[in-house]
Amino acid sequence: MEKILRLPGRAFLNFLTYMGQLAALLANLGTAVRTGVWRLKLVAQQLVAIGYGSQVVVIVTGAFTGAVFTAQTYFKFKDFGVEAGVGAIVSVALCRELGPVLAGLMVAGRVGASMAADIGTMKVTEQIDALRVMAVHPVDYLVLPRFIAMLISMPFLVAESITFGLLASHCAAVYGFGIPQRWFWNHVFEHTNETDLFCGMFKGFVFGILITIISCHQGLAAENGAVGVGIGTTRAVVFSSLALLVVNFFLSILLNYIFPMGVAT
Amino acid sequence: MNDALQPSKDRVFIEVRDLTKKFGEQHVLRGVNLTVYRGETLVLIGPSGEGKTVLMKHFIGLLKPDAGSVVVDGVSVHRLRERQLSATRKKFGFLFQNAALFDAMTVAENVAFPLVESGVRDRAEIIKRVHDALEVVDLEEHKEKLPVNLSGGMRKRAGIARSVVANPQCVLYDEPTASLDPVVADVIDQLIMRLQHRFRVTSIVVTHDMKSVFKIANRVAMLKNGVIHFCGTPEELRNSPDADIQDFIEGRSHLQG
Repeated sequence: MEKILRLPGRAFLNFLTYMGQLAALLANLGTAVRTGVWRLKLVAQQLVAIGYGSQVVVIVTGAFTGAVFTAQTYFKFKDFGVEAGVGAIVSVALCRELGPVLAGLMVAGRVGASMAADIGTMKVTEQIDALRVMAVHPVDYLVLPRFIAMLISMPFLVAESITFGLLASHCAAVYGFGIPQRWFWNHVFEHTNETDLFCGMFKGFVFGILITIISCHQGLAAENGAVGVGIGTTRAVVFSSLALLVVNFFLSILLNYIFPMGVAT
Repeated sequence: MNDALQPSKDRVFIEVRDLTKKFGEQHVLRGVNLTVYRGETLVLIGPSGEGKTVLMKHFIGLLKPDAGSVVVDGVSVHRLRERQLSATRKKFGFLFQNAALFDAMTVAENVAFPLVESGVRDRAEIIKRVHDALEVVDLEEHKEKLPVNLSGGMRKRAGIARSVVANPQCVLYDEPTASLDPVVADVIDQLIMRLQHRFRVTSIVVTHDMKSVFKIANRVAMLKNGVIHFCGTPEELRNSPDADIQDFIEGRSHLQG
């Protein structure tokens, strides 16, 4: 009985410890930004791996989400005879929520897992100790380039996801359901503006920070050989995805407060 | 020990005092006292799991002691934070047990890494120094290979080249001949001696290989039960009346068959 009662307390303490470790890594990263050497070649390599390498997955996710959301919205809107307004709903949803969240989840799965596995393998094979022995701080060498590349890539990946989502939505609406092209785009531009796009890209920026910190921390904390790397990789994806969804909720409220939705310029 | 290696205060490179280290409930080091002199080859021996590698990792701040002090070249490394250890770490080369080469880099890139990271920008100089280091370990023709394509002995030799390429004052070898056949092990021993003579580095070697001990050591320290059980010349080790030492040298166990 006592053991059961202790469980919530222990879980809470573990959560606080974990938060402390993430904060320590973030602080270390801050020091790396200020004092560390910016290895531009490594940043460029990571830009290719994260930004360029995630193109297909982000485009496909954005496009099919835009298309299926258009179809579902059309089926319901048709009952009320307002199917021409599909573009407005889809574009706002893609810019503010679906674009950044789905791109973030896909990047968490693809890049977060890779970060945790790469760094975790280096940890368990003493390659990180080898860096330290050669007076190279692991955060400077491994985390900082990934962090910079992620911050640059994520807003563009989100923008790309939104763009292809809208294009696919256009194809579904115009060629699939016969909505006139002018109506579709008029509704898009009447109800969506650059602020909505900015909100989406800003979310992508924040998600990039979350994914990098959580995934790199899992890699740096990996222990017990291949099993530990596997556990770290799984946790990186799960924790990044959950953190992304929770933070997205609060970020949506905050951004809607600062930049209210539906205020067309 | 030759005259140049006679202990004196100004020749002290590493001084360890009352070093204690626990991992959870496991008390690994229980008050280690050890002095390492410049230019000598000190071999650390002792039963497996007694903390030889743990002790060695304290020399360069890879581990922090629970109590006691580690002074390297006049600097108290046990008091320094990770980012403050750079200057001390640049005085060392470290050969890990599995060499710890970077998987994504070729042998040449691995060996060049300490030079690039220490700020050497002249490409011609980097190429020359990498070439020289690889020549010493006889790996020049394998410089474009990835570590995954090397044998165990070749990985160790590449690791040695990476350890010495930046001309460190001290090289730490963690079981350099473990899991190697006797001929390759002899090659590694010859390399350690060649490097000591050529670069006049201080060498600290953790090993279980008694043949290596008597070949390369100027002094031998035996770690047992978390303290330095013996410290002296190979000759003194060989002639020690201590039963534990003789059992270790001869590889005798007292298990009844």
